[in-house]
Amino acid sequence: MPLTEHTAVVRRLTVSTKGAPAGEAGRGEPVTATAAAVSAVLRAFGRSPEDLPARTAVFVGAARTAAGLGAEHEGFPVHTASSPGRALRRAHRELLAKNVDLALVAGFGEPRAEAVTVHAVRRAAEAVADGDSVLGVLDVSGEAPGTPDTFDDFDDTPVVRPLRHGGRSTDPGGVRLLLWSGRDEADEARVRGELRPMVDRLFPEAFPVLPTAVPCGQEPGPVRAAVVTTADRAAPAVDGAKAAVTGRPRPVALLFPGQGSQHTAMAAGLYGREPVFTAAMDAVLDLFGEDGEDVRADWLADGATRTPKIGIDDVRRAQPLLFAVDYALGRTVLGWGVRPTAFLGHSAGELVAAVFTGVVSLPDAVGMMRERVRYAVEIPPGGMLAVGSSEEELRPYLRGDVAIAAVNAGRQTMLAGSRAPLDEVGAALRADGHTVVAVPATSPFHCPAMAPASEAVERAYRGVRLRPPALPLYSGYTGGPLSPEDALRPDFWARQLTDTVYFRPALDELLAADDMLLIEAGPRQTLTAFARRHQAVRLKASAVVPMLPARPGGPGEDRRSVLTAAARLWEEGHGLDLDAVSRLWNWSADAPPAPETPAPGTPVAEASAPDGRFGGRRPLTAV
Amino acid sequence: MSTTTTKTEVTLADLTRMLRESAGEEEGVDLDGDVLDTPFIDLGYDSLALLQVIGQIQREYGIAIPDDAVVDAETPGALLDLINSGQASPA
Repeated sequence: MPLTEHTAVVRRLTVSTKGAPAGEAGRGEPVTATAAAVSAVLRAFGRSPEDLPARTAVFVGAARTAAGLGAEHEGFPVHTASSPGRALRRAHRELLAKNVDLALVAGFGEPRAEAVTVHAVRRAAEAVADGDSVLGVLDVSGEAPGTPDTFDDFDDTPVVRPLRHGGRSTDPGGVRLLLWSGRDEADEARVRGELRPMVDRLFPEAFPVLPTAVPCGQEPGPVRAAVVTTADRAAPAVDGAKAAVTGRPRPVALLFPGQGSQHTAMAAGLYGREPVFTAAMDAVLDLFGEDGEDVRADWLADGATRTPKIGIDDVRRAQPLLFAVDYALGRTVLGWGVRPTAFLGHSAGELVAAVFTGVVSLPDAVGMMRERVRYAVEIPPGGMLAVGSSEEELRPYLRGDVAIAAVNAGRQTMLAGSRAPLDEVGAALRADGHTVVAVPATSPFHCPAMAPASEAVERAYRGVRLRPPALPLYSGYTGGPLSPEDALRPDFWARQLTDTVYFRPALDELLAADDMLLIEAGPRQTLTAFARRHQAVRLKASAVVPMLPARPGGPGEDRRSVLTAAARLWEEGHGLDLDAVSRLWNWSADAPPAPETPAPGTPVAEASAPDGRFGGRRPLTAV
Repeated sequence: MSTTTTKTEVTLADLTRMLRESAGEEEGVDLDGDVLDTPFIDLGYDSLALLQVIGQIQREYGIAIPDDAVVDAETPGALLDLINSGQASPA
């Protein structure tokens, strides 16, 4: 069953009310669900209610409910059912229907009369994507399919089963990563000498099972080396690898590209082959609802046996898929244990940055993207041009609704406008010797032609819960760090459809704040090329690493490229979750999980968490 | 597309100079060291920047380079080969 059909229990807590005032919970009588108890449930996992996701709901399962408990408490909806089992089933349904993003389910009288058990439940794909602990998934089988009322017919408590998400699968001919390190240069040479005979004339079948990093089980030393290679080339690759002496690793910033970077089947080589990427793609496409199915089918259409119904450059494909791929690649990096300290997205990529910095929840961001696409398609077709000249050089050529869409680099500026005036401007620029390239886009983003769409989405965005960024977000619309005030303005996000993207000034600010290791989490290497022309990168104070190939190269190249990015993080001196990184050569969504052992990439499911504690590694909805 | 044959040999030094010029003064690229076989993208040249360089070569040397050179020539070495080997003949 796909991950998107599951809900995951991410926290569980049992509270005994023994010692409560006598009479409140009579002997053998289940505790009564009261308003005070619901207040306690909202705080059960150590977070204040205002830090809970916007669409959090409480599901009360109790034989007795106090008269004072209404359908809403402290601003959160409260659903009551007559038993803990019914409450869990209801929560499961509401989560899968996307009516709720986090369900706090309080079973009164569970597992003992005087106890209350609270489950925190969310959609499984989202939990796996953002590295939340998964105690297990709710097994609601036995529930009759059909009308929404059937949950009332089943009283039994759903079993929490281990999450199954793919399994071990290795390809002896495939690429993998070999990492090694030493305390100093001599030690590195010694370790390399030990690694060398292991990879020489190795049976290819044994290659994928070598440890990710050597020496195995030790803290990595400061002298680092890495190769991305296949079994038959491993020995010369190890010989030829350059070791890097690491000092303080430069902090990581993620860059998310926007329209123009998309291509057919972008990053598809990671889908089904990297568990976090796969879960994140599924989570996003599932949040797109029915459209998501079509988007996925067109994304994975190989062009030979199946042709996409809508081309990738169309706003209805480019924008949702760029959002999903950027997000899933960012989650993959976080899944390696890397903690970026800054985020910068180009155009639509800024919405991805908003999710990673906690400005909007993932479901809300997908909702914002849907609105964006919905109204953008109604705008008469236009286009975008990339010109190898500065903003100042281009200003005199602007006419009609043609505007400066983006300032990407000192001598790379994008124009956008309606078809006819844009063609005129393009012709005039070419005649004067400017280099002009059409950007693959059918909608004229970042120019006045988008104003009707911008106004329409602003109305929709007013209902979205926005928060100040919890981590630095460098905005292409302010050319610097996003202020809490701007982050909270619906019109700030809506106007992104018409406003100019000042990518270069934002990159300037980002690289002025600190020397960074920039990672482009998206297809092609558009932003990488801009960054390579930046002085800070040319002088090697900062560096940039793309996650995907510069031009479409097929599934194998996608994986090789992502592994190369992981190798660069290692060589920089960053710590990597070695098991997480190894999934790229030893995991497949299609492989059955081994019996008795939990699926890779998923924490061990527990039968129950100890009373009074919750077993999460990180706070709910941790970035 | 018309093709003017030329005896002018474009050298790596010429190409490097034009790559520098097209990238602009305040920003540029790291062209020190062995760039002959370094992919343009690794030097910071996306397809637009490369088209710009190719346009400049065409103007300066009075030669025609097919537009798809951007796709075919991944490195400065490959671009020089394409320019100097009589780019008119189809590959």
